[in-house]
Amino acid sequence: MLLPPFEYYRPSNLEQALALLREMGDQAHPLAGGTDLLVNLKLKKLAPKALLDLGGLEELKGSRADGGQVSLGALNSASRLASGGPHVPRLLAMGAGALGSPQVRNRATLGGNLVTARPAADLCLPLLALGARAVLTGPQGSREVSLDGYFQGPGYTVKEPGEILTRVLLEAPKPGQGGGYQKLGLRQALEIALVNVAAHLELEPDGKTIAMARVALGAVAPVPMLAPSAAQVLQGAKADEKSFTAAAQAAAADAKPIDDHRGSAAYRRDMARTLTLRALRQALAQAQGGKEVGA
Amino acid sequence: MSRQFDVIGSRAPRKDAPNKSTGKAQYIEDITFPGELAGALLQSPHAHAKILDIDTSKALALPGVVAVLTAKDVPEVKYGVSPARYDENLFAMDRVRYVGDEIAAVAAVDLPTALKAVELIQVEYEPLPVLLTVEEATANDAPWIHEEYPDNICAQVEQEFGDVEAAFAQCDLIQEGSFFSKRQDGAFIEPNQCVALMGHDGVLTLHSSTQVPHYVQRTVAMVTGLGMSQVRVVKPYVGGGFGPKASATPIDLAASFLAIRTGRPVRMAYTREQVFLFSRARHGFTHHMKIGAKKDGTLMALDHQATLDGGAYSSFGIATVYYAGSLLGGPYKLPNMRYAGRRVFTNKPACGAQRGHGGVIARALFEQQLDIIAEKLGMDPIELRLKNMMETGDVTCNDLAMSSLGMKECIEAVKSGSGWGEKKGKLPPGKGIGMACGFFVSGAGYPIYRSETYHCTIMIKADEDGGGITVYTASAEIGQGSDTTMAMIAAEAVGIPLEQVRVKSGDTDFGIDLGAYSSRTTLMTGHATKEAGDNLKAMVLETLAGELGIQAARLDIKNGLIKISGGPVDFSAIRTGYIKEHRGWQDQPQSQELTFREAARLAYLRRGTLVATGKYKPPVLGGKYKGATVGTSPAYGCSAQVAEVNVDFETGQIIVERVTDAHDCGQAVNLTSVEAQMQGSVSMGLGEALFEEVKFDAQGRIINASLGEYHIPTVMDMPEVRCIVVESGEPNGPFGAKEVGEGAIMPTIPAILNAVRNATGLVLEETPLTPERVYQALKKQKGA
Ligand SMILES: Cc1cc2nc3c(=O)[nH]c(=O)nc-3n(C[C@H](O)[C@H](O)[C@H](O)COP(=O)(O)OP(=O)(O)OC[C@H]3O[C@@H](n4cnc5c(N)ncnc54)[C@H](O)[C@@H]3O)c2cc1C
Repeated sequence: MLLPPFEYYRPSNLEQALALLREMGDQAHPLAGGTDLLVNLKLKKLAPKALLDLGGLEELKGSRADGGQVSLGALNSASRLASGGPHVPRLLAMGAGALGSPQVRNRATLGGNLVTARPAADLCLPLLALGARAVLTGPQGSREVSLDGYFQGPGYTVKEPGEILTRVLLEAPKPGQGGGYQKLGLRQALEIALVNVAAHLELEPDGKTIAMARVALGAVAPVPMLAPSAAQVLQGAKADEKSFTAAAQAAAADAKPIDDHRGSAAYRRDMARTLTLRALRQALAQAQGGKEVGA
Repeated sequence: MSRQFDVIGSRAPRKDAPNKSTGKAQYIEDITFPGELAGALLQSPHAHAKILDIDTSKALALPGVVAVLTAKDVPEVKYGVSPARYDENLFAMDRVRYVGDEIAAVAAVDLPTALKAVELIQVEYEPLPVLLTVEEATANDAPWIHEEYPDNICAQVEQEFGDVEAAFAQCDLIQEGSFFSKRQDGAFIEPNQCVALMGHDGVLTLHSSTQVPHYVQRTVAMVTGLGMSQVRVVKPYVGGGFGPKASATPIDLAASFLAIRTGRPVRMAYTREQVFLFSRARHGFTHHMKIGAKKDGTLMALDHQATLDGGAYSSFGIATVYYAGSLLGGPYKLPNMRYAGRRVFTNKPACGAQRGHGGVIARALFEQQLDIIAEKLGMDPIELRLKNMMETGDVTCNDLAMSSLGMKECIEAVKSGSGWGEKKGKLPPGKGIGMACGFFVSGAGYPIYRSETYHCTIMIKADEDGGGITVYTASAEIGQGSDTTMAMIAAEAVGIPLEQVRVKSGDTDFGIDLGAYSSRTTLMTGHATKEAGDNLKAMVLETLAGELGIQAARLDIKNGLIKISGGPVDFSAIRTGYIKEHRGWQDQPQSQELTFREAARLAYLRRGTLVATGKYKPPVLGGKYKGATVGTSPAYGCSAQVAEVNVDFETGQIIVERVTDAHDCGQAVNLTSVEAQMQGSVSMGLGEALFEEVKFDAQGRIINASLGEYHIPTVMDMPEVRCIVVESGEPNGPFGAKEVGEGAIMPTIPAILNAVRNATGLVLEETPLTPERVYQALKKQKGA
């Protein structure tokens, strides 16, 4: 398989990058790790005139905390996120650690995962569950978009062609929070999930009551999705098996899976329930600071 | 049985390890020639269609295109694997039979141009009904995919040994079961690739990533019309084969024709998707078995039916359908066996041979049924197996002679190695333990074409300086370690350290070798290598004895030193001569004993270049019935495995946690390589058991033709594998050695099946055991 010919640009700052994008419109595709883009070029699914390597843009790098907010650069690689550097939420690290293989994790980026927007994307689910916002920067400046509403379809988001996803914003972690991540596939690595679930819990100071929860489901809809009924069931409930089971039921009901060659809709729905329950248990253990419950 | 060896049985580092680990090893892709053209294939987008017209004019007109070939441009010669079933044309004559069937080939100045030209070839098709399943292909009104094969039956086998009905009448228990498996892909890491060059001397040289240089040479010669002497096949390092690389590919042939036509080197390579399209990997099997046993566990009879979904061409299929039956003759005493097998043509890529050729799924079902029989009779599965196990010297009902069989030792080894006694029946919920046995040929008893040819020839040449030897062999190192094996056998035979042996292999100019398939190389090529080594040693010692004026019988070579028995002998004249020849050199011999170097140098001085040869073909092997040539072998390797699994009842996911694996390889030549084959077999068997399935859409197109969507095990999926090497000492093997490459895969699937049954009570009848399949079965069980 051959890469088709393309022009290659490597702007050295965001302004230059945006100018190039404006000039070329959707003829230019940003290139981050290339683990989606280069594959699609080889498969002839895309034939852009130019690739715009984002690697030189300092604005898209690093991670920092400002006030109550964490800002992660779009160029953070999955392996950096998986190793849980400063300001990286544990739930995101768990998702990043489940992505691909070590080689793929070294290349794959946060921004690429969010822009590719596959229904089972391993970074999208944790970020959805964490209530993250994407910063999209275009010719008119930057806008913040909540991930709830950002995904429009497989490979399709609210990002305009002239925009670059520069950073991801999250609330800084607080005590009493915990995350759970569950990924089911055929094999233990290099696997696009059959179903995956990320759960985020915030407990009241009593350590028992759920102040807020979000459950994100993967591979059960055309986009990574939040399960609103599950969140509703959990909010204000006691963090126990009973409410977790009810939330898992609700999540399964929220799921909109289809049949394909990798799995049936019925199985996926059942797994959305099972994995939600497991993810919630894991999140609770983390929130209570106790020993983490495994799969 | 233990013999003292100097080289054999060690963990010597592989000869190719330094080059492979530093990237110096050359695979086809690393070898380039000046003036190369790039070739590309036009393959059918239809699974079944008539070709009404092919228009190549636009492709030919594209600047940079040098040649375009279709069926009209090449001789109309049918080829294939088994001469009785030659059913392939390089380019489709008037019909395409699967998505991927070859229609034309292009050579151009570079690959983008060649691919562009392929797109410009216009073909007019008239679609025909597409037959994708055995049911569709054998329906009454199904069209025939090949005119010559009525009802789409590629091959049919009916065999009976003993009297099955009479035996069933005496049985206390009749157990019946079925199994359905999926088509696999070989998933070797290096996609097939080749470069063909036509020399002004009239010799075509084909560099190819193949397991079988000799068969490729024959096929290329036959199809192009060149003589065998005008076709040379060279195999550089190869990134795996596992069976699908055991025959000539359309790119081997197309590149050859294009090189002949253009006079320039032509390179052709499959993409990963094309590897799936060419396939020639494991068939999808459907088996049904009825097994009769006595109350005490004695196995009495097997009645067995198998149907193989063969794809569009025969390839190895005729052998596959025989193997699927014959390999159940052992390793248990089974006096009565009836087999009805058929292989059916369908409009999919042709299946062929893959590790454990033909026998893997038959073995899986049989071993699963044995476990059920044991349970019904209140016996431990190990006890049942030991009770019926053959021993060295036994002959199966279909005439397979177990000249060595360490099966009982293997079973005992995995029993104690796994802690079977402490675990079986005592595991917590979700955990299961299961075992199975299996055996495999150590080299096919007969070549693929009917011939009295030697299966391998070897030439060993001593350096004129005496410093070492070179083994010339046409055998195929494909990553399994055969070069190191031959070096070790030669070193042992001659009596010199491994470092003094070089191996040049994989070139048809070096002689005959049928190649790396049917687990034949260690035993067969090993025999020829040993014979050549023995001969070389005799030449050296004869000359030396003459020079010293003593009987050659008093001389031996060990670790590179000459051993003289029966009292001291003065060899100072030889040493002095050697030292004088090497005045000024740093490494003059100083040992108390004469060295091989001095003796081999002397032999050269007295008789010219020392070349010794060796050869091997199996003795006439038992079995006079039709099909007896498939399954007979000079020796059989055997193995037992215990698998321990965890089944997640809520998701259906199976994790294989541990495998205890014992294999009888007769005598390990290289212990590390033996273990590597055992590990690799577990990995491939585990993949077939749990993940692997080539899937098609309704038009016959593969929907998962990539290693992203076709799941082979990663290192994260590998259980802890404990390898136990059993050495029974095979009388028909060189230094007692026999196979490990394929026998080791036989027990893996059934051991997993039996462990899953132990954990869940489920008798699963279909692989792969995907989480969903297991989950649905668990749900059904709960509901029932
Ligand atoms: C073998 C393999 C295994 C994989 N396994 C997994 C897995 O387990 N889980 C998983 O979720 N994914 C997996 N992927 C997919 C892929 O690795 C991820 O989606 C990854 O996060 C993509 O990031 P990237 O930097 O490589 O993106 P790229 O390929 O560089 O870009 C992807 C797309 O996003 C656009 N883009 C990238 N960055 C930006 C930006 N900052 N602003 C605007 N547009 C941008 C590009 O133009 C392109 O359209 C796998 C891929 C491969 C090849």
